[in-house]
Amino acid sequence: MTDHVGVNRQRPLSASHRGEGPFLRRFSRLQITLHALVIVSFFGLVLTGAPLHFSNAAWAGWLIGLLGGVESAGFIHRVCAIITFGYFFTHVGTITYRLIKESDRKAILWGPTSMVPQPKDVRDVIQMFAWFLGKGSRPRFDRYSYMEKFDYWAVFWGVAIIGGSGLLLWFPEFFSRFLPGWSFNIATIVHGDEALLALGFIFTVHFFNVHLRPEKFPIDVVIFTGRATADYMKEEHPLEYERVVQEGRLEELKASRPSRTLYVWAVGLGFASLTLGIAMILLVLWAVVGN
Amino acid sequence: MRTPNLCVVLAALLGSAIFATVARAQAQPERGGGGPAVQCINCHGNMAFLGGKSATQAQDYMLFVTDSIVGPSVHGGLSCAECHPAHAEGYPHRAERPARPCADCHPEPGRDWGRSIHAANVARAGDAASCVDCHGSHQVFASTDRRSMTYALNVAETCARCHADPDIIGEYFATPEKALARSAASLYYETVHGTAITESGLVVSATCNDCHGAHEILPPDSSRSSVNRANIPETCGQCHEGIVQVYDGSAHGQALLAAAGPRAPVCTDCHTSHEIVSTDEPVWFRGVVEECGNCHQQLYERYFETYHGKATRLGSDIPARCSDCHTAHNMLPPSDPGSSVYPANMVETCSQCHSGVNENFVQYYAHGDHTDRERYPKLFWPWLFMTTLLAGVFGFFGIHTLLWLVRTGIDARRRGQERGKEE
Repeated sequence: MTDHVGVNRQRPLSASHRGEGPFLRRFSRLQITLHALVIVSFFGLVLTGAPLHFSNAAWAGWLIGLLGGVESAGFIHRVCAIITFGYFFTHVGTITYRLIKESDRKAILWGPTSMVPQPKDVRDVIQMFAWFLGKGSRPRFDRYSYMEKFDYWAVFWGVAIIGGSGLLLWFPEFFSRFLPGWSFNIATIVHGDEALLALGFIFTVHFFNVHLRPEKFPIDVVIFTGRATADYMKEEHPLEYERVVQEGRLEELKASRPSRTLYVWAVGLGFASLTLGIAMILLVLWAVVGN
Repeated sequence: MRTPNLCVVLAALLGSAIFATVARAQAQPERGGGGPAVQCINCHGNMAFLGGKSATQAQDYMLFVTDSIVGPSVHGGLSCAECHPAHAEGYPHRAERPARPCADCHPEPGRDWGRSIHAANVARAGDAASCVDCHGSHQVFASTDRRSMTYALNVAETCARCHADPDIIGEYFATPEKALARSAASLYYETVHGTAITESGLVVSATCNDCHGAHEILPPDSSRSSVNRANIPETCGQCHEGIVQVYDGSAHGQALLAAAGPRAPVCTDCHTSHEIVSTDEPVWFRGVVEECGNCHQQLYERYFETYHGKATRLGSDIPARCSDCHTAHNMLPPSDPGSSVYPANMVETCSQCHSGVNENFVQYYAHGDHTDRERYPKLFWPWLFMTTLLAGVFGFFGIHTLLWLVRTGIDARRRGQERGKEE
């Protein structure tokens, strides 16, 4: 295994650029675009929602003032909610289309490239803890590690739960035609707590897993450029790399090195997101401790 | 015959001379007719002469009296001696108690003043406002006269001469609990009552004496005081009659009459006394939630768990606050059919803001407590589920992250040691 941490002195900032080998495509343009929409809308939702959830925090009034007041923050929140529904249904739509039309439908639902949890994922979790405790080697991941699968399904679950409860709170008059009034109380609890879970998870665990853990520190922009070096793939997704080689699809996946402009933008946006996210974590901690 | 005659004549002459002198001395002050007597003005209308007769300039002005000063006042028809009988004895005057008590002619105000905190302070501290401090001395006008110190538009300024002077006020309102009394006169000008006077020129707006009385001013701890808690609704009701009629029937009004007595909220608990603002001011409708929360603490805390409360706390004017649902003055328990929050009235109450409200909609808990399993099981279980979910996810991945950090740390150190051995 290549040691990214200590050996390479000319170590690029982004983990996706480290090591040897041609750049290989990992994410499609659609995936890159959808993830960018997730980032933008999620920050919009967090910045406008957190002050309401922690309305008694010292910074809540200040942040709401910065956003132009409660009504203005509410407007931004709803616009970002529409973006969220937009990327969510775009993704569900394309997946559904592929399930109906394309020949790889089985691979979507089951197997090494599927997002559906596999028995191997359970074994990987166990082996990961064994490695943590010094009993065995690190599990070798396929196209998506169990952590990435968790992130993926967390967004699915999160959008459904937060989005659903958010719609209830957005249109209470409409939903009260079928639902009792206390469902809006439940919606308030669920919306706020699930959002807190999403915020807390993404800005700590997700940030650690994909950017801040020593192997990748300080950043990995593969989700912005869609490409990473062969060494990166051998390190992070060895089974995927080996399978691609075995299937003779390596040439197919070879891609040009991301342009300087794209790389600079990707790193810049990545660091901006990291900073903003960690700042939000600090604000939440302040609110929780200050209470 | 002649000698006795001469004696009689001399005695008569002497007698008439004495009589004439005395009579003149007594009659003289009345000769002025409409104003100060000519002889008084000889000295009191001469500023240069008075200059050497008093210790301060203020005293000079008090002593300086002319026809044009006293003439237009309500006392213009009186002679100097009516109020200064001692001076009729002639010159030099006695310095102490030069004036006759106003109460001789104005018994009722005099009696009322005698019971007031001002009179008590005269007795206790030797100095406090008496008749002339509020009405003036030589220029007393009817309170309906806009020149009067007690004219509605001038009262606050008159009271403020002492009550906004920190030197005077500090002496009487020295303790911390009297802090409000220290600032009351200054704060008044910022209130809706004060600006109605100073900006809108409304003579009907409440000024000091409308709430505190004019002559029998008593501190709020006196049960007879117009600003005693028990009497406040009646005092405010002098003007806000319709409001107090509603209040009297409300849970608060009824509590005031019943055993709760002094603990029941009165007008000033929500509206304050000297910081009263208009109810359409943001500072009011944000502040009033705090006022309600002073007593209804649990409802207050639970309100801030809802969107209504959170958005209100962040400064939005739109969401419902206490009085929007419970009314401002006719608050009644939900068990009372006349209450705005009586179940059958809820659709109407919520419809003030929301459209298409139905029976489902009003089952919303405006003060639900998700930690109260007994009363709100519908909220408790979802809340417990969410809390468990959060604890589970953060717990698992927290450990996952920490162990990962520790493992990479151990591995890095081991590699470093191995590299060290090789070299």
